[in-house]
This record gives sequence, C-alpha cells and structure tokens, in this order.
Amino acid sequence: MIIKNGTVYDPLNGIDGEKKDLFIKDGKIVEEADGKEIDASGLIVLPGGVEIHTHIAGSKVNLGRLFRPEDHRKDPVSRTGVTRGGVGYTVPTTFVTGYRYAKLGYTTLMEAAAPPLGARHTHEELNDIPIVDKGCYTLMGNNYFVLRYIKEKDFEKLKNFVAWLLKATRGYVIKIVNPGGVENWKWGRNVNSIDDRVDNYEITPREILTGLAKVNEELKLPHPIHVHCNNLAVPGNFETTAESINAVKERIHITHIQFNSYAGDSWAKLASGAAELAKRINQRENVTCDMGQVIFDDATTMTADGPMQYGLYKKTGNKWYNSDVEMEEGAGVVPHVYKAKSPVNAVQWTIGLEMALLVKDPWKLCMTTDHPNGGPFYHYPEVISWLMSKRARDQMLQSVHRVASSRTGLGGIDREYSLSEIAIITRAAAAKLLGLKQKGHLGVGADADVAIYEFRRDDIKRSFSKAKYVIKDGKIVVKDGEIVESPQGRTYWVNAGGEVTEEMREAFSKYYTVALENYPVQDEYLPRGEMISCG
Amino acid sequence: MNYMKVILISGRTTKQGISLEMGKTSEEYSNNVAVIMMNENDMKKIGAKEDEHVEVRTKFGSAVVRCKESRIDRGIAFMPYGPWANMMISADTQGTGMPNYKGVEAKISATDKDVLTIANVIERIKEIK
Amino acid sequence: MIYKNIVCTLCGCLCDDIEVVTEGERVADVKNACEFSRSKFLNHAKDRAKHLIKKNGKLVEVPIEEALGEAAEILKKADFPLIYGLSSTETDAQRMAVELAELIGASIDNTTSVCHGPTIQAVQDCGAAKCTLGEVRNRADLVIFWGCNPAEAHIRHATRYSITPRGLYTESGRKGREIVHVDVRETKTSKMADIFVKVKPGRDYELLSAFRAAVKGYDVGDVAGVPSETITQLVEKMKSCKFGVIFFGLGLTMTGAKHMNVNAALRLVRDLNDHTKFTINPMRGHGNVSGSNDVMTWCTGYPFAVNFSKGYPVYNPGEFSAVDILARRECDAALIIASDPVAHFPAQASEHLVRIPTIVIDPKINLTSLIAKIVIPSAIAGIECDGTAYRMDGIPLRLKKVIDSEFLPDREILKKIIERVKA
Repeated sequence: MIIKNGTVYDPLNGIDGEKKDLFIKDGKIVEEADGKEIDASGLIVLPGGVEIHTHIAGSKVNLGRLFRPEDHRKDPVSRTGVTRGGVGYTVPTTFVTGYRYAKLGYTTLMEAAAPPLGARHTHEELNDIPIVDKGCYTLMGNNYFVLRYIKEKDFEKLKNFVAWLLKATRGYVIKIVNPGGVENWKWGRNVNSIDDRVDNYEITPREILTGLAKVNEELKLPHPIHVHCNNLAVPGNFETTAESINAVKERIHITHIQFNSYAGDSWAKLASGAAELAKRINQRENVTCDMGQVIFDDATTMTADGPMQYGLYKKTGNKWYNSDVEMEEGAGVVPHVYKAKSPVNAVQWTIGLEMALLVKDPWKLCMTTDHPNGGPFYHYPEVISWLMSKRARDQMLQSVHRVASSRTGLGGIDREYSLSEIAIITRAAAAKLLGLKQKGHLGVGADADVAIYEFRRDDIKRSFSKAKYVIKDGKIVVKDGEIVESPQGRTYWVNAGGEVTEEMREAFSKYYTVALENYPVQDEYLPRGEMISCG
Repeated sequence: MNYMKVILISGRTTKQGISLEMGKTSEEYSNNVAVIMMNENDMKKIGAKEDEHVEVRTKFGSAVVRCKESRIDRGIAFMPYGPWANMMISADTQGTGMPNYKGVEAKISATDKDVLTIANVIERIKEIK
Repeated sequence: MIYKNIVCTLCGCLCDDIEVVTEGERVADVKNACEFSRSKFLNHAKDRAKHLIKKNGKLVEVPIEEALGEAAEILKKADFPLIYGLSSTETDAQRMAVELAELIGASIDNTTSVCHGPTIQAVQDCGAAKCTLGEVRNRADLVIFWGCNPAEAHIRHATRYSITPRGLYTESGRKGREIVHVDVRETKTSKMADIFVKVKPGRDYELLSAFRAAVKGYDVGDVAGVPSETITQLVEKMKSCKFGVIFFGLGLTMTGAKHMNVNAALRLVRDLNDHTKFTINPMRGHGNVSGSNDVMTWCTGYPFAVNFSKGYPVYNPGEFSAVDILARRECDAALIIASDPVAHFPAQASEHLVRIPTIVIDPKINLTSLIAKIVIPSAIAGIECDGTAYRMDGIPLRLKKVIDSEFLPDREILKKIIERVKA
C-alpha cells in the first residue's frame, strides 16, 4: 500500500508537516512498496493514536456497565454487516469501545487498572475489543506481598514477587493506586498523606512508592511506575502530589494529574495547583504525567481507590458500587456529571488544560480524560481544540462559572499546541513512555498503524472526530469515519522473570481462596499475545 | 374434607440438588422432589402421616406429593424446587421477571391419589390451554 | 489419571481444589468435593442426550448435521425467537449465544431472571458494597445469612469462606466470628449459627427498613415477627463489629417486595459503612450464572432480559425476561441452552415451549428436552471441555477438560448454528 502526498507528522522521527509518501508492506512501514494507493493530498497523516490510560476492560468497568442501564439507553449502537451492536456513552460495551477509538484514529489502548485476581476477566474483555492492540496495568500498591516485603525490608523478595505478578497477570506496568490507602479501606479507613500509617504493616505510602520505583528500575521495565497519588480529588492535594514526586528519584508517571493538582483548603475555595506541579515537572527529567481532563458531560467515576469513591458517594449521594479484592486491591464506581455552571467543575476543567499548557516539554505529557472518570474519550477532539486554539478555550472559559477565571491562570496563557505537539501527546510520547518501539511513529520498521485526517484549523474538533482513513497493521479498518474491517489486535505483556517461592505458596494456601496453581492467567486468554522481555 | 391453609415456599435442598445430577427422570429425583415439608401439628390436623400422599392446591394448579415432617412453623409448608412445586406457582412476575416462587397461598389435604410422576407432570403441562 | 485443583462448576462457590481421578473415559473418584459436586462428577456419563428431532410426534435420533441444519432454519425463520439459559456453560459459549441472538434479532435471557435478577435491579438503583470471598475469610467477625440456606445450597461455603476458616486477621476461626441466620424457618444453616432470627414470610422489607432506622438511631417496635429488643441488639452488633458481611439469597429475591427487599438490604449495608466496615454479597446459585451476567454486560451493556429485535440491545426485565415472554406466549421459537425451564419455570410459562419449536442444547436429558422439537447433546463444561467460569463474587477461574468426549462443546455447536444462519 502507498499513502501518497499526505502531510506527515512523525515527531519521533523529526518529521513536522512534510509532504511525504508512506510505503506499507506486510503490515509494516517500509522503504518502498507498491500496491493499493491512498490519495492523501490535502490530508494530514499521523501514526495511530496510543492511549496511555483508560478504563475499558475488567471487573470494575463491567460493574460500571452493569449498574448504569440509564446511561446506556441514551446511546444504543446497531449492528452492521461488519460491526457488532452494543451501547456507548460513559461505559461503552467492548465492541463499541474498539470501534469508537478506531474511528478517532487510535490503534493502541492501555487498560489502566487490572486487579490480579480478576486479570482473566480483564483479558476476556480485552479480547472482545476489536481492531486495536492492547495491554493492561497490574495493580500492586496495596498488595499483601508488596506491603509485607516492604515492611520486612526485603528488596530481593519484593523484586521477585513484582516480576512474577506481572507475568502471572500478563500485565504491562506496575500500577499504584492510593498506595496504602486501599489496604486501610479494607478496615474502613484511608491514608491522608504519604507519611501516614498503613495499618497492620506499619509502613507508609512513601515506602511503597520508593520501593516499587526501585524495583521498576532494577527490572528494567519499559514504563515508569504509574501512580494515582494519595488524596485524589481532595482540595489542597497538589502538595501530596509534589511530595510523591519528591520522594522518588527513579522514573515516575503521575496519572490523571488534574485530579491531584488542587490548591485551596476546601471545595468552596478550590483553586489550581497546576503551576506548582508543572514547575517541578519542568525541572526534572524523571517525571511524566497524563492530563485527566474533565469534560462537561456525564461521566462514570471508576478507580481502584475504594475510599475515595466512598467519599464521592457521600458528597454527591449518587449510587455507589464498592468491590474489595482479597489480598490485593479495591474498586469503586460512582456516576458523576460535570457542569459548566458548577464552580468546582469549572475550576477542575481549567486545571487539566493549565497543566498541559504549563508543562513545557510535550514529551512529558499525554492527553487523557481518564475515561470515563473525567468524561468519555469521544471528547478527545474537543480537548485537542482547546489546546490548539486559545480562542476556543477562552470562549469556553467565558461560558463556564466565572469563578474559574480567578482561581487558575488559564486565561493568561497564550500558548497554542502545534499539530506536531498534538501528535506527541496523543501518540508519540505514550509509545515512547511505554517502550513500544514499533508504535507511535511512521519510520521504517514501525507497525503500519496510521491515522489520516482532513484537518481544518477553523474546525479542529470536527477534524479529529472522524478519521478519513485508519490503517491497522497495513489494513484499512476505517474509511470516511466508518468501520470497514474489524480484525483482532494483539495483547502486549511484560515478562521480567520472577518465580514462585515456598513462602508465596504458603501464604497463598493460607489466605487466598483460589489455588496458586489456578491463579496465573493461562495462555488461552491471549490468542494474540506479544511478550516483551525485560530484567 | 379436612384441609390446611398454608403459605407455600419452594427452595433448594441437598437431596434435590444431588438427585438433579442423577437425572430428572430418575426415581431418586421423584422421591426427593415430589415432597412437601409440613409442621407435625398441621399434618395431624389433616390426618396425614409421614410419607403419605397429600394434594396441594393453589389458585394456579395442583399436585399430589408425599408429605414429610419438618421443623417449620404452623401455616407454612416447604417444597423443593422443581416441576411439582411449579405446577402451582403463577407465571405473573408483576413486571419483575421473577415469579412468586416463595409465598403463594395453598390448601393441603390428605388424599388417596397417586403421586404425580414426571410423565404426568409433562402431560399436564402439555394440556394447559 | 489424577487431576488436581480442578474447578467444580455446580454452584457459585466454584471450589477449585477438587481432585478428580479418571479411568479411561470416566470419572472414577473425586476428592474434596461436596455431595452435589461428587454427584455431578461421578454421574457425568448418566442420562446423556442424543441428537433428536421430533417427527410425527416422536423424538427420533438423527445425524448431527440434520439437527444443526434444522435448528438454524427454525431460528432464522422465527420472528421473535427466545434464547434462554446459559448458566451452566462457559463464557465462550455465552459469548456465542449473544452473537447468535444479535444475528437473529432474538430476546436473550439467562437464569438470573429467576434467581438474583431482583438483586441486579436493586443494584442498578443504589449500587452495592461488596467484596470477594477471601475478604470475608480473612477479616469478617460478624457474618449474617439472610434468606439463604448455604448448608443445603452452597455446601462448602461455610468451611471455605464464611464460618470456620482461619485467615489473615481471623486466626481464631469459628471462635472469632459471630454467625447470625435470618429466615422464615429453621434450617440446617440455623444450626451453624449463634443466633437465629425468624422473620414472617414476605415481611423482610419491613424488617430491613426497621434495621435501617435503628442504625440511624430511631427506636423501632416489634417488626415482622421480630421483637424490638432483638432488632436493637443485632443492630448494635452490626455497628460495632470490625468487619461485617451479609450473605443473602432467594429468600429476599423471590418473596414479597422482591427487588425492594434487596434494595433495603443494600442500603442498610451502605448506611453501616458510616460506622464500620460492612459488605453485602449475593449467594449466586449456578456455577456460571455470574459469568452469563458479565458476558452479557460487556457485550450488550445489560446483564439479562435483553432483546435485539431492533438490531441493538434493549433491556427490560418483565418484558424480555423468559418467564414473561413465555407466559404471554410471545415467542415463536426457543433455544434453551444449559438450563431446564420445564423443571424450573411455573407450568403456565413452560407450556408455551410445547407449543412452539423448542431447541435444547444440553449434555443431559432434562425435562425440557422431553418436550423439545430438536435436541442437541453437548460436552459438560469443566469436565469434558475447558473454558472460564465466574464465581459468585465475580472471580474468574479456568475450567479444565479431564475427560475426552464424543460431544461438542456448547460454543462449537453455537458457532455451527451461526454459520448456518449466516449462509
């Protein structure tokens, strides 16, 4: 296949809006090829999008689907000759998830939180997400073995266990959510700072962060520790985030940082702490983040942060699902809605954008809404328009609650993202941060995952809403915004070694309710598994 | 004729569950499931002894089963889940999808009639207009 | 051959420590299994179904191709077909069933609608504070069984999860736990409990509401046959325990206020979370009914009672639940898979299955197959074919194949029917 005459944006290879032909053969970008020609004149050509953090598959996502029929009824999706039916809106079904991300031009998605005991469920759902390549992040920050080995100060055992757990769950990343807080939630409590006490282990969240960060480096895992900080959505929490950043000298990725960038001592006085955090990120080379942008729309909050979700239910009175997983993690789901006229929501909206605009190096930032916590990913094109056009975001700023203008510096920021920078924060940076060498770029050897858009500067949102073409592994899957083919993608996972020890075996048989032999995810759950070796 | 008014509940029993796996057309299944558990005083009132036949009638149907004594309050009777109990339960779910498996009013009286076999039950089902 | 750590799929406990000893193509012995499980494994070869089609009023044996072809024809031609069952088979078969339903515009329902459907309806209203069974094992010091009878329906629940195990923070096992049983009659479960509370039949909603009021500090009188003092004392225990759990069953879903009973229970536990750690978990019956909910939810958005007539999924218990469709005589063909509605539905609903062409896919001869138009035998999931099943608390486990079988797995049969419908 040849993509002719397109304007190519390939920041990983230094290509910034160059008219260039692309050659595809056997699913890869190559030097020369013949075959079908796609006329990309007047169109922009980007690598397929890489989503670094989204909640699309697994038990808590399905709990969200289960208890929100009212959300689904708004957005039924009919089957076609090529596609399955389902529902959309804030918690889309698996097929619809794959189709809609593909239509936006995304070709690789990372499920942000997989509880190890439920990893089979995560993979079953990932297998039903068509077209895109996938991976999942293994929750570890409240795991019995992790907490125990940190308490016992046994780094080698910690390292071995973490490696083994990644392999057993076919996960990609060490995911940490409210470290120590979710363990405390198992007794109805939480932690309120990174130096607070984790009951029964007498350790602190700080020790969990530093211990796992060190393990991450020694195992040479592709991605940093991926951290949902303590005190999420608590006014004044930017300090907790700053402390978490300060505590770790190895690489650290702060996820949905907007929710952890709050200044002010109460909701009434909520203000932006983005400037302070952006400063730190700008000064350091080891810190990256993703936005967690809020959208004025319905949302469904779902995280592994059990106590935080309980708190949200108490504040809003919305229905609340809680699901504690033995020995490992927790989860909570609460429907939510963000309103432009709500002073709190308006301030939250500005903070995500402020963060993206104040972090100078786009390679340190990825665009997300923490779908569906901040809002459905369908709104990505709108987020892009706010980043690329000061006019668009100022217009929005005028229409939201006026308090937002005085509590953040957003109004005073002139910066506008270029197309190249957008390509970085929606594809290239994520691919690089994840160590996916064949993704996020269009150089020779890359997977032929390509997104082609008709770009109009006066309608940025529309430009990115429906790709003109999306190519996955050299096959056209989207044409004029419609799915034309629905192949199954790969699942990436990391093998960093790790072995079962007698100690682990003993603890399993005493405290778990499943046999150790039945715990790891079997090969059958990865029909197109791609192992990445490390360590 | 002496009859007893009860609230009829149906549910699982170990014997019902085990004999499920032995086949629903088996004698074991019939022995374990075509039964009704009653309070001993209620049994005395209608003149039925352990393992004797009783006819159970509700607004929706009737069945002849064996009666068994049980530690249950007067005025309540329990039958294992299955086709005998289901002869007598309404299919009206009041819009919930769930029939009233537990809590239908029934009348029980002693009888000479034979306990319904599974074949009988199937015939009865086929005859419903 | 000896197989260890095999998963039993009979009830929602999904015990995964079963040891199965096979001799040739039969199961010779089973260890660690409860009576139900033993019966299931040892009797796997009994009462197996054959490929049958009803011709001139009699079921006659036919080649598999003929059965599959005829089944596909019936389903293709039907205007308002019903697919029902799913709970005793594995998740790949459940996915195929959803795919078929979507293809032919069917209603698709699973046994949830006559089991914990009301629970799901309540959860959709207010959510639920639940946990996995290991949390109960490791932390619970107060366990309440409400409207359920695990001693006769979930036989190893007490020893594996809820009453006797010694766990991480429950080293004194049974001694460290207080067990309460609330029900309309004493059962074997009451014997396992420290306290038995008898509630008047059909009055759980009032009793649960009284509990809620007491938690909030109100004085309550005698309610639903339970003395005021009992309510007050029990509520005190619930507020002051370290980790409490309510396990509830069909005593709440099938009686009186049905989903509103469960609603009250869910809200009671939610309120208790203001005072201490408390969770609530449904006692799911069939081995993989949880799986059928999860699969239907991730594929369609809805857990049961779904209809595809419009080409997209629509959810409405009471409208698209199987008992209702059958009772109102709305469907003109039915595919019953991995369940036995003639045994378990009210007779006035089952009788419609006699009137319409009914296709049964099941390993065994069951009552529904006696009245069917077409019978297709399948392999038993967890013994003769592999797959995935979900435990009552949502944890998925891999089923293994320990016996070779001449019968196709459900998923293969459904795949073949789909191919023929598409042709």
